[in-house]
Amino acid sequence: MPATFKNYMIHKGGLTLQEFDQLTDSLQVKKVNKDHIFLREGEICEHSFFVESGLLRSFTIDESGKEHIIQFAPENWFVSDRSSIFFNEPSDFFIEAIEDSTVVFIHKDFMIKATELSSRFMEYNEKLLQNNIRHIQKRVNLLLSASAESRYLNFIQLYPDLLLRVPQWMIASYLGITPESLSRVRKDLASKNFK
Amino acid sequence: MTTKNVSKILTPPPAHFVGDGFRVHNFIPSEMNMQRMNPFVMMDYNSKHYFSPSNTPRGVGVHPHKGFETVTIAYKGSVAHHDSSGNSGVINEGDVQWMTAGSGVLHKEYHEEEFSKAGGDFQMVQLWVNLSAKDKKSKPKYQAITHEQIAKVNLPENKGVVEVIAGEYENVKGTAFTFSPIHLLNARISKGANVPFTFPENYNTALLVIEGGVKINNTENASVNQFVLFKNEGEAFNIEATEDSIVLVLSGEPINEPIAARGPFVMNTNEELSQAIQEFNLGKFGYLED
Repeated sequence: MPATFKNYMIHKGGLTLQEFDQLTDSLQVKKVNKDHIFLREGEICEHSFFVESGLLRSFTIDESGKEHIIQFAPENWFVSDRSSIFFNEPSDFFIEAIEDSTVVFIHKDFMIKATELSSRFMEYNEKLLQNNIRHIQKRVNLLLSASAESRYLNFIQLYPDLLLRVPQWMIASYLGITPESLSRVRKDLASKNFK
Repeated sequence: MTTKNVSKILTPPPAHFVGDGFRVHNFIPSEMNMQRMNPFVMMDYNSKHYFSPSNTPRGVGVHPHKGFETVTIAYKGSVAHHDSSGNSGVINEGDVQWMTAGSGVLHKEYHEEEFSKAGGDFQMVQLWVNLSAKDKKSKPKYQAITHEQIAKVNLPENKGVVEVIAGEYENVKGTAFTFSPIHLLNARISKGANVPFTFPENYNTALLVIEGGVKINNTENASVNQFVLFKNEGEAFNIEATEDSIVLVLSGEPINEPIAARGPFVMNTNEELSQAIQEFNLGKFGYLED
């Protein structure tokens, strides 16, 4: 088991070493290549994915074949379709590796068992869920009401190094703007900030 | 003067593509950490590779650099470059481009249009030369050094020439300005030539066999595309060409500062790295169209 996930679960998730060791049957670590698909639309999601190294994204494909990026998951991030897991219903999303990645596959049983074992983990999971809701609410609000520039400024706070790692069209897709509009925002910022 | 012996001879690691125009073997930092050859903190070697004709030039799109210098030495083929300050130029066979990224620059590098259309052999070295904390703040600049401009030392008996890109060889000063003491030499030597080199003991020293093959200190053989790392003991070594050869010799005084590197940034601390990334995100290095 890679050290990062284990440390994360012990230091942030509140599990003891003994509790963690009881749960490892529900965990698998896989090295995957770029373009590996973890989840397809229509499948029922059974895992959460923790990124040890590399980069994943979740996205949808609309009727015209256009991709819309919901989330990026770089190192130390989780990505999943929680509602597909919880309600046992087909997912609307795809999850895919954008870089060669090392990923911890966390089976849904892990969460159930960890919650039974540890009240501290239950609190942590509750907090994670609340965080997630806060993030999604902010994101919906930004997409509905914010200018392209403030969406971009928000993005670089959340994901500082992604501009170096992913093509522009993916960032534009995440921001809900055209690649041309993203170029314009970056050009305007450069004309203000370039010395 | 004591002999500087070979520490190890490395065969090139498997090549990977940088963009679609550079097929490189990374010797530094893949084969040794960044401090081992500091101030040379990165070396990508595009061993001789044939690129088929292409109407769309291959290369690497817009990317930033900060905190160091890139040195591109062209042995075969031509590269065109553009940057966010409006500079552009072409590095042709035999030329050297010494770019100080310093406080931050955006640039892109592509095969030069005519070369791309015709196709041909491509062979280059790109080095990243570290800068000390105070010099990391310096303004970006270029030294475009053509093959004619490079200082040269002719070897006796027409055995070849040592091009002094930077530093010094046999009292001839190198062409490039450097922020810290660096010797960067291209020895183009004929079979049988025996060429002496002397560098201070503490300087990190290595050579790369670009063409041909050499025998070092009359004992160790290095063949084409091999990288020879020297020990930090002794000062003098010699290379004897076992066939007509081109050898890149590099030696530099280590910059005794911590290195924090991520992607295209080489700084001293992680805080500075995060700051560099946000400067890039916020357009502080300017703007350049892909």
